Amino acid sequence: MPLTYAAIATTTVGAGGTSAITFNSIPADYTDLLLKFSLRSTSTNSTVLLNINNSSSDFTGRDLYGNGSTVTSNNYSANYSGYQSVSTNTTSAFGSGELYIPNYTASTNKSYFVDAVSETNSSTAYSGIHALLWAQTSAITRLDISMFGGNLAQYSTATLYGINKS
Amino acid sequence: MAIVSIKNKTKSGSLLVGNSYNIPPAFESISTATGTGSSGTITFSSIPSGYKHLQIRSIATSSSSYGMIRFNSDSSSNYVSHFLYGDGSSASATGLTGLTSLYGPRADNSTYFSVGIVDILDFDSSTKYKTIRVLTGQDANGSGLIMVNSGLWLSTSAITSITINTQSGNWATTAQFALYGIKEL
Repeated sequence: MPLTYAAIATTTVGAGGTSAITFNSIPADYTDLLLKFSLRSTSTNSTVLLNINNSSSDFTGRDLYGNGSTVTSNNYSANYSGYQSVSTNTTSAFGSGELYIPNYTASTNKSYFVDAVSETNSSTAYSGIHALLWAQTSAITRLDISMFGGNLAQYSTATLYGINKS
Repeated sequence: MAIVSIKNKTKSGSLLVGNSYNIPPAFESISTATGTGSSGTITFSSIPSGYKHLQIRSIATSSSSYGMIRFNSDSSSNYVSHFLYGDGSSASATGLTGLTSLYGPRADNSTYFSVGIVDILDFDSSTKYKTIRVLTGQDANGSGLIMVNSGLWLSTSAITSITINTQSGNWATTAQFALYGIKEL
């Protein structure tokens, strides 16, 4: 049976937190990449950042998100890749998200998709879907996921999977 | 010491002797369940450890609006849900606290199927409250909803059982639920 869904690596943030979770030397063995993450920021900004091949340049995106009461859609020129829980959210509450990058080894610009949510014991939390473009043509060999303006709190996790078409 | 392949007689310094290394699949079926027509409850019990994440996929008809998710039979007010949804003409967002179960996949039409995918990351963590993320919706030939929902179970207990209850009535015999385990390396 062909291997179509393979775990590549997992990181769990230790005591004291960390500035980013890095997946380096990503093998070119798969068709697509899937990153599942459960994060909490040490700051009050819920925005997830994704650097590709150590670059935060040439990203554009658009999103649709709600905060528990209103709905908004934006477009932006940045690597904003979803929302996760923050320091002011309920203790022990973490976000949940998934980031899908098809054709990550292709020599074309890379499009990817994110669905991600923050959570807390309040009526206010963020749920959103995000479509992004990284306008560079290099094969993706490195991903860094982090939070805008803060560190990743202890027990934040990210797991990278390789997806094959056959 | 050179290793000789029994299969093709090649020599190698590796025990793999020219064969590619084996990576086990990360996405596995744990269990499936089908509605009985006489019960409003679907149960996945004795969920094994050994996985990093869980995913539920559903296709369902019922007279309920949602499948309501409860973990480890906890019926106290330990649940929070948030919704982002559109009905084909407008979009809205809502948050609810103090719930006795989480809003899961849609299941609100007795004729047209609703579809849902529920992700439960770090389900056996003993340090994190459990967050679910739900993509769900249906088109009922003139009405319907598309939703991105989330939910929080205010507990650090590892999830060992999941029940999905209708809000009223029974699961149709055509309602199907599948529980998958997703491994880490």
